[in-house]
Amino acid sequence: MTSDTAPRQAYNPAAASRPGWHDRVHPVVPWLVGLLVLLPVPLLMRNAYHQYVVNVICINIILAVGLNIVKGFSGQVTVGHVAVAAIGAYSSAVFALHLGLPFWLALPGALVVTAIAGAMVGVPAFRLEGAYLALATLGLAESVRIVISGTESLGGAIGLENIPAPNFFGHVLDTHKSYYYVVMPAALFGMYFSFSILRSDIGRAFKSIREDQLAAAASGVNVRKYKLIAFVLSALYAGTAGSLKAHMSPGFLNPNDYTLTEMITLLLMVVFGGIGHIWGGVVGAIVVTIINDLTQDYYQYRMVIFGSIIVLTVMFMPRGIGGIIDDFFIRRRFKAIRESRANAS
Amino acid sequence: MSRFLKQTLRAALPAATLAMGMATAPAMAQDNVIRVGVTLRMVVENGLKYGQMVKDELEAVNAAGGINGKKIEIILLDDECKPDKGIANVNRFIHQHKVHLVLGSTCSSVSLPMVDITAKEEVPQIVPHSTNANVTKKNSAWVFRTAVSERFYASVHAKYLSENVGKKVAYLYTTDSAGIGFARDYMAFMRKTYNIEPLYEAQMQETDLDFRSHLLKIKSLGAEVLAIGGQSDAIARIAQQSFEVGIPSRVRRVAASAASNAPVPELAGDAAKGLTFAAAFVCTDDRPVAQQFVKMVQTKYGVRCPDHDFSQAYETAQLVKLALGKAQLTLTDASLKADRAAIRDAFANIRDYQGLASGPISFCAEPTPQCRDGNRTGILVEYTKGGKDYDMRVLARVSFEADFGLGQ
Repeated sequence: MTSDTAPRQAYNPAAASRPGWHDRVHPVVPWLVGLLVLLPVPLLMRNAYHQYVVNVICINIILAVGLNIVKGFSGQVTVGHVAVAAIGAYSSAVFALHLGLPFWLALPGALVVTAIAGAMVGVPAFRLEGAYLALATLGLAESVRIVISGTESLGGAIGLENIPAPNFFGHVLDTHKSYYYVVMPAALFGMYFSFSILRSDIGRAFKSIREDQLAAAASGVNVRKYKLIAFVLSALYAGTAGSLKAHMSPGFLNPNDYTLTEMITLLLMVVFGGIGHIWGGVVGAIVVTIINDLTQDYYQYRMVIFGSIIVLTVMFMPRGIGGIIDDFFIRRRFKAIRESRANAS
Repeated sequence: MSRFLKQTLRAALPAATLAMGMATAPAMAQDNVIRVGVTLRMVVENGLKYGQMVKDELEAVNAAGGINGKKIEIILLDDECKPDKGIANVNRFIHQHKVHLVLGSTCSSVSLPMVDITAKEEVPQIVPHSTNANVTKKNSAWVFRTAVSERFYASVHAKYLSENVGKKVAYLYTTDSAGIGFARDYMAFMRKTYNIEPLYEAQMQETDLDFRSHLLKIKSLGAEVLAIGGQSDAIARIAQQSFEVGIPSRVRRVAASAASNAPVPELAGDAAKGLTFAAAFVCTDDRPVAQQFVKMVQTKYGVRCPDHDFSQAYETAQLVKLALGKAQLTLTDASLKADRAAIRDAFANIRDYQGLASGPISFCAEPTPQCRDGNRTGILVEYTKGGKDYDMRVLARVSFEADFGLGQ
């Protein structure tokens, strides 16, 4: 049979699985294209406040994607993510203020500290699950905030001031526009790294633990090891977000910004976006940050609006936006398969 | 759709969502309108009323034809005493609403980063409530403060009590900025003036409920003064528990400025009797201007005895009207920078403003605490009765030199 006589729409599984030119492209290339697409965003902003909101969104994306690793991928209930972000923020600030390190060294330093903190948070997860793990991490989160509040060298309850903005070859990135070029690539890299984790052996181990710990252990997955890895990886994200927030103009940190309210807002991003869905978490971070901003004018009703969103999401959209996106693509895929089979027959 | 294209589109999704969000932003700022951004802590009792009163006071001039014929637009936001919210609010005021003046905030931890932003963006800011000394020590040319700075407050207590009550002071305070600042300044004064160390010192959490173990220790040490730092509920609890553990009433209870807030005598009940605090205003002030204000708050906002946060919010609104009236404003997009500078200069020219404050309020042009801490008179107030129908009296009225407390 020649190609001229062959049915044009025939479903051919062999051909479908044959690698196309796009499959030969390195996985990082789409992300570089994404980076190029997002580069001119500051030019689209009406004013510097919008740019500020975009920067906050980028930081929240890093936080949400990081929380998704431990909560979405590996199914561990934690409410200590904000505390780990606080540890990252204060570590980075202390490295910059007390040791005089530039941001580019303070950030990796903060990541080391948060990785250790993440491991410490992860240890209770060896024996605890569900509500008990949530309580343990909640206790840790409150402890961190209280310790910061009472530590004079960390600025105590008043706060830590004058944290320097990053300096890039003599150019101080202390405007919202210039800082975008620090937080946006960081957010994109965080997403890319998260996808890489999800598609790796580690990601599969996380998911097996999430689905059934006993079955995972019976299949040879070292549950303790992978739980610890999940917490450490998640902490690295929180540390990055914390450090980026600390060095963002005006360079001010206060323990009041790391309370249970912030943790609930972060959980809302992940739940609204869809637990376990990286893109869902990203969209959740964007939507919740924008809702948070738009409802500032209605401060009397803001918490009611937020509470309602959580309740309605859990009731009517339990898998969040990510679930809807998944369903959409699955339906499209099945439709395409059905159509091609129909054409073939 | 190819995987490559799909992934690329997905990467662009955040940008698209952002653009949609940003499209909902308010329209451009109007010409010939004076825009004032107000950010306060409004999630506490009376917080909404402070904010509403400031808004009402400033908008009232519109009904009377505006200031020099120009209307005022108020953008009122709640910062929840969270620096992140305060930073977002002030950025929004400056960049989105293009305000001519920022008014805020209540908590020092919020006002401090706001000062950095207004200084950088060159927008005048008037601080109604925050007492932390660093608010004006940043030497911003754009900041003015109506509240009495803690560098004065601390010494109102310390000076009067060390001379009239005793020097054996026990300190019990919570880890909020007001509580820490109060205790730290009191201790610093005692060390510097008398070389006396604290008889006892303990720092508690804001959420702590039981202070009895510390109070029993303080009782056994024979303190002459019990210094209580913290917010309203902590002050009320400590005052109440101090009597429960048997600390005699001759031991003078002195508390941070939050003791002036109505919930303290109401929560503490009889234990409030004898509790002393420094303030900028007391509702029993019998001057006609003060009584007129008290009556207005009672009628309009349903508060029987407005505390000094009320009076300072009101005072700030009056100062704003005064400064806006004196400033030569063009009020176009192009003149925004010049208008902001004109408002700053008008504030700097306010001298001996006699309002509700216990002393006159004066500012000047130098960007120093001496010039920008306009209210330098504190009063020492004592509760003479607790409970819902609480009462109080003025123990002393103390004015300070402009550079007092800066050498510490």
